[in-house]
Amino acid sequence: MTKRRMFLRMVTASLLRRRSRMLIALLSIGIGATILAGMVTIYYDVPRQMRAQMRSYGANMLLMPAEGETLDSERLSAALQKLPADALVGASPYRYVRLDMTSRQQSFTTAGTDFAEIQKTSPYFSVEGRYPEAPREILVGREIAETIGVKEGSDMELTWQPTARESDGNPSDDRKPGARLAGSAKGFGDAMVYVTATLDNEAKIAELTIDASTQTPEYGGRTAEDALFLKQFIGKALPLEMGDDVDALSGATVTSTAVVEALNTARADAAVQPKTTRYMVTGILVTGGEEEGYVFMSTEDLQALTGEDALDVAELSISADEEQLNAYAEALTGDGVQARLVKRVTKSETAVLGKLQALVFLVTVVVLILTMICVSTTMMAVVSERRREIGLRKALGASDNSIRGEFLGEGMFLGLLGGALGAVLGFVFAQVVSVNVFHASIMFRPLLLPVTVLVSMLIAAASCLMPIKRAVAIDPAIVLKGE
Amino acid sequence: MALLELKNISKIYGELKALDNVSLHVDKGEWVAIMGPSGSGKSTMMNIIGCMDKPTKGEVLLDGEDISKLPGKRLTDIRRDKIGLIFQQFHMVTYLTAVENVMVSQYYHSMPDEQEALEALGRVGLRERAKHLPSQLSGGEQQRVCVARALINHPELILADEPTGNLDEANENIVLDLFRQLHREGTTLIVVTHDPEVAEAAQRTIVLEHGRVAREVVNENFVE
Repeated sequence: MTKRRMFLRMVTASLLRRRSRMLIALLSIGIGATILAGMVTIYYDVPRQMRAQMRSYGANMLLMPAEGETLDSERLSAALQKLPADALVGASPYRYVRLDMTSRQQSFTTAGTDFAEIQKTSPYFSVEGRYPEAPREILVGREIAETIGVKEGSDMELTWQPTARESDGNPSDDRKPGARLAGSAKGFGDAMVYVTATLDNEAKIAELTIDASTQTPEYGGRTAEDALFLKQFIGKALPLEMGDDVDALSGATVTSTAVVEALNTARADAAVQPKTTRYMVTGILVTGGEEEGYVFMSTEDLQALTGEDALDVAELSISADEEQLNAYAEALTGDGVQARLVKRVTKSETAVLGKLQALVFLVTVVVLILTMICVSTTMMAVVSERRREIGLRKALGASDNSIRGEFLGEGMFLGLLGGALGAVLGFVFAQVVSVNVFHASIMFRPLLLPVTVLVSMLIAAASCLMPIKRAVAIDPAIVLKGE
Repeated sequence: MALLELKNISKIYGELKALDNVSLHVDKGEWVAIMGPSGSGKSTMMNIIGCMDKPTKGEVLLDGEDISKLPGKRLTDIRRDKIGLIFQQFHMVTYLTAVENVMVSQYYHSMPDEQEALEALGRVGLRERAKHLPSQLSGGEQQRVCVARALINHPELILADEPTGNLDEANENIVLDLFRQLHREGTTLIVVTHDPEVAEAAQRTIVLEHGRVAREVVNENFVE
């Protein structure tokens, strides 16, 4: 038999045949290792979990058209392909337009978006009622709902009044003899005033109709009917100058100006026909923010109304730390889009996770210190209990180093057992904590097993230093005193 | 030829002279008993001979080497290599079996050898009990294991401290017979005792009183 085998035989016999005391030491190392393994798992795994949770703070990245470019759904989905699927929590496209509610002489900012995605990127949105599911269903912000008195289930008729696009040339291109022009401009209270005009064969105004139904009837509303006001326009060439060519209707300066503006920007009739659709309100949106002043409808509904596939911005919610987010933003930028981090969100996420990790780290250190104290105390008791045996070993010729080796061996063997036990229990512990506190299950890290065992062995060894010092100091002569 | 020689050794603890100018000469192969009442200096002498203590004054020659000034580490080496110890309280490692207890001595000395250890147990009549823990052995059996342990490394000197103090007569005789056997094989034996019967088994008895050698008795009835 080799010395090493005898050493192992002695160490294991000491642990296996002197169970009660060693069980306490094993238990304290085991518990220490359990908490260590658990905490380390939480330390590394929970930021991943928490990041997903923190995504309830809202989007942390914005995707916008690059300078001079436009964004559409095709470009958006092409950009999203560049992100790893498991990192992307949600991506909400937004298109903002003003729609008019003619019956109330109001116009509202309306967002065309994807309701399924909104629930992922902005989980804090709360809807009284339900999110729209079918075509022609909309959400109305609480502020609007209170102003105009709509409720869940109400109908709302919204009108899209197109403004001519610059790409189609100038309004002057359309001012041909005999042309029919239509235009609109913002009047009182930002509500739209519509005009239609027919030009004579000298391209001067022959006929004029004003739709000022969104304006206050006794003031701006009169522009549509006041014969003297209307008469000023007839026979004049566009563009008109307020004050020079026409005078404002008294008490309706804003509306009068809007009429002139609408005429000056009016385009050939066909391109600018207003379009109206009836929608059903499925819920009132409560966010506590500016969204309460918006109407929300699906991208498809808005496209059907306006006939254009265009997006202003997309809000992305990505599960990643700040560094990764910056990398993603860089990857996404290009091909006509640019990405930007929402600093307010990313910064606070980083700060919260940092604090959480610091806390877990601190608890781990404290637990390790407590484990060391506990193991050290137990080993101290073991040394006093085994004074005679140590004396005997020394009397039989054990050198100080042999005594050190044997106790260190016992300690590290305990560390090995306790560490292995702790790694397994620690994972269970972390799993329980994670499921109960964070409502997420945890990934097993194979590396954790050797690391926990190694750390446990080191801690057990460190805990043995004081007891070993005491053991080495024992006088072998104690075995001779015959009491 | 002297295996052990104490030359005018004294051990002084403050005012107390535990040993006072003691000299002793033990030849190789000799069997010597040391007797004396409590406090006579037996234990101190035993510690010094067993390389577990050093005299305040005087020289200790073991195998011709003066060990009285050696550092503790060297003393440990000498104890391990040259001396086999037997104690009154048996002192076994409680969680190791009989054969393992014998092997502990081999382990510190050189190389554990289970076969050799079993043979040593056979010599003390305990071959059958080799796998028993100390708690499963009687006092006499435990002391016999200790004898096996003491002789396993073939020491030049076996030093026994009240080896029969805790044994009944039957076991005492077994142990004394073992000593006789060892003596016949040429092992030097020093037995500290206050049992006259045990002392009479030796060739020579040294009687200590108040830290001095009071008298020396040669056992004329000693049978080889």
